Amino acid sequence: MQPKKVLAVDDSKLMLRMYEVMLRGTPLLLAENGQMALELLAQHPDVDLVLLDINMPVMNGLEFLEALAAQGRLPGLPVIVISTDGEEAQIQKGLEAGAVAYLTKPFDAEKLRAAVASLPEAP
Amino acid sequence: MNGPTPAVPRPEEGPKKELVEELKGTLERARELVRAPEEQLTRAGVPVGSGSGEELAARLARTEADVKELAAQLAASERQISRLMNLYVATYQLHATLTPGEVLQTIAEIATNLLGAEKFVLLLRRDGGGGFEVALAQGVGSGEYPLFAGEAYPGGEPAVDATLADGLLRLSPIAGSSAVAVVPLKVQGEIVGALVVLKLLSHKPALRPEDRELLDLLSAHAASALFAARIFATKDRRLRTLESLLKLARGE
Repeated sequence: MQPKKVLAVDDSKLMLRMYEVMLRGTPLLLAENGQMALELLAQHPDVDLVLLDINMPVMNGLEFLEALAAQGRLPGLPVIVISTDGEEAQIQKGLEAGAVAYLTKPFDAEKLRAAVASLPEAP
Repeated sequence: MNGPTPAVPRPEEGPKKELVEELKGTLERARELVRAPEEQLTRAGVPVGSGSGEELAARLARTEADVKELAAQLAASERQISRLMNLYVATYQLHATLTPGEVLQTIAEIATNLLGAEKFVLLLRRDGGGGFEVALAQGVGSGEYPLFAGEAYPGGEPAVDATLADGLLRLSPIAGSSAVAVVPLKVQGEIVGALVVLKLLSHKPALRPEDRELLDLLSAHAASALFAARIFATKDRRLRTLESLLKLARGE
């Protein structure tokens, strides 16, 4: 998959800066929590990939996935979870909530590219 | 959790693998092209094994070796780019603010997100030189690390004490210490504190060789960014106080 517009959701300014550098050349929206991400998605329905942290204030990643599912946007919109939490139970929760892949931090650009490349092209 | 989950794509499943597979396919087709005329010659009773066929096979073998080498170089370049990206972003973010709290937050984010540290403390020399304060602590509040639980570090952790004295980076395994890493923090060559990594995230069993570059960066930049921010904050407070006094004196 070659994403056309990506939404990165993370409460870490460092990580948001990292996504800006990694995804240079791809239109990118940044959100610091799930609530802000939902608002951005409403304004930008053409987002075709979400990179999502789990542990965030206001609305965490799992709550965001639940809200997306309630809006009927899953599984149409691919969401890749990228979190420091590598516990098996947490990974299962993320995948069951609708994420298409789960990467653990620290991660590198190659892993992210591989995860994105494995996603099917949008119809 | 060390291994990938079924839904996590493996790193080799990216475009690089597709490129290598495509090149392998091209080589196989080229081999078939060489094989076909050889078989025709054999059927016609012409001896093969010398001349252009053999030369082509040798060239193919060389090309195949070149492709393997290029694939290895590509992978190495990508790893290097990834390391440089981490270093660039860490440096950029450390110096992107002059607010002491935000610099501390950035140091914590680097330790967690880029290094994979779960439990760590940042020790800084107190103003006036009287011991070290615990400027930042993450995951040490449960009583597991009593030496780092208070506002001041009383001393007593051998590796930390040694690094605060000699300014040397220490990495696990460290004799007499359970710390994963003790990183000296320096400003203009002077030891002003240490970042002590006590435990890594459960899915990161050990520090990788490339983490050393990140630790060196923190050693050189973390304290200077923090000190610059603290000096700026102090000067800014004094400036505001003077401005207020001036306004008062003018009767504004």
